[in-house]
Amino acid sequence: MKSQLLFFIGKGGVGKSTTSALTSVYLASKPYKTLLVSMDPAHNQCDIFDQDFSEKPKRVSETLMVKEVNTDFWIEKYLKETTEQIKQTYRYESAFNLQNYFNVLQFSPGLEEYALLLAFEDTLHKYRDQDFIVFDMAPTALTLRFFSLPFITLIWLEELLKLRSAIYKKKEIISKIKIAGKEIEQDRVKAKLKSLIVNYEDLRRQFLSETTNVNLVMNNDKLSFAEAFRIRQKLSDISIGIDRIVINKLNPDESTTEIENEFKEQTIGRFPLAPKGLSGYAALKDYIEVYKETFQEISGNIEYRNR
Amino acid sequence: MLQVLQWLKRQIVEAFKISDEVMRSKAVETVEHEVAELDNIFGILVLGAFIGIPSPPIHITMELLPLMDKEFDIMLDKVLTAHDPLGHLFSVLGID
Repeated sequence: MKSQLLFFIGKGGVGKSTTSALTSVYLASKPYKTLLVSMDPAHNQCDIFDQDFSEKPKRVSETLMVKEVNTDFWIEKYLKETTEQIKQTYRYESAFNLQNYFNVLQFSPGLEEYALLLAFEDTLHKYRDQDFIVFDMAPTALTLRFFSLPFITLIWLEELLKLRSAIYKKKEIISKIKIAGKEIEQDRVKAKLKSLIVNYEDLRRQFLSETTNVNLVMNNDKLSFAEAFRIRQKLSDISIGIDRIVINKLNPDESTTEIENEFKEQTIGRFPLAPKGLSGYAALKDYIEVYKETFQEISGNIEYRNR
Repeated sequence: MLQVLQWLKRQIVEAFKISDEVMRSKAVETVEHEVAELDNIFGILVLGAFIGIPSPPIHITMELLPLMDKEFDIMLDKVLTAHDPLGHLFSVLGID
């Protein structure tokens, strides 16, 4: 079975981390091999599980591992690799000047979501053997940028490839006339563009595939309802659909008809408010024990998908 | 006598070769200039961040930068001669 990817997205503070942690603990108890990845640069899985996590996944139970993505680590690693490549290809003087420009580049906007994307790719690559990979995402803005990155990048890459191919054709004509018959060397930029396009198409396919499940977390209040509405709109612009609505911090007997009416195509998960808050693995297990019916809906979903 | 004729033949062949080369490069001069312009446009599109023009998602720049030393040179060169674009055009078209 291919790993199922569960993304938990939503407004800041609605409980993405809590609901994703609960879901992971539940899945791991079933027992599915589960990896919980915190993609929020302001991590709080460490508070929920009451232990420290890092880039290297830490085993919490036999089937559950947790890791926190360190964006700074990824940005630094990436910059270092690029600098090495530059030093190899550029002549000394220009490389010397370039270094100054390059030092500025690392403060460019957009690197943070790119680091997330690198971490995402790396996770997919390394932990393909997991049944479930649960991603606890950052608040809306960064998450939307993360999701749209492959789409925007592809638009650029395709346009650049068109221009590059046109240039290459002209260069071929020149060399045919000048040094009759001799082939000119392959364009490395063109080759790179092509390989990048293949790579981002894979990512886009992954985002749009059946194995990607987007869980939109919200509370039963006006603000998070409004934001959920906008998130759905923004995601549908890049044709990513929302698979499930998770309503967190529900009070007993609270009516959710408004949400149900708005999100008719999605299944709805309901997480009741934990009276004393949740901290530590034991507390998460207790919660799952107490609110069994919440998690029955999840297993129903899994059975449906595995069929 | 034969030697002189052979020498003459070599000279003529040589002259043809040179004139052929000259003609060939003359023929592609304008296209070459166009390619340099296109290279410059490509450079600006990808590396615009270096000369103060908004660029594509920054990771595209970073991925391609190591392979684009030529375009980078052309672009910086064009920036330096940017104050005299007409002069540049006239020299390409061979107008004195």
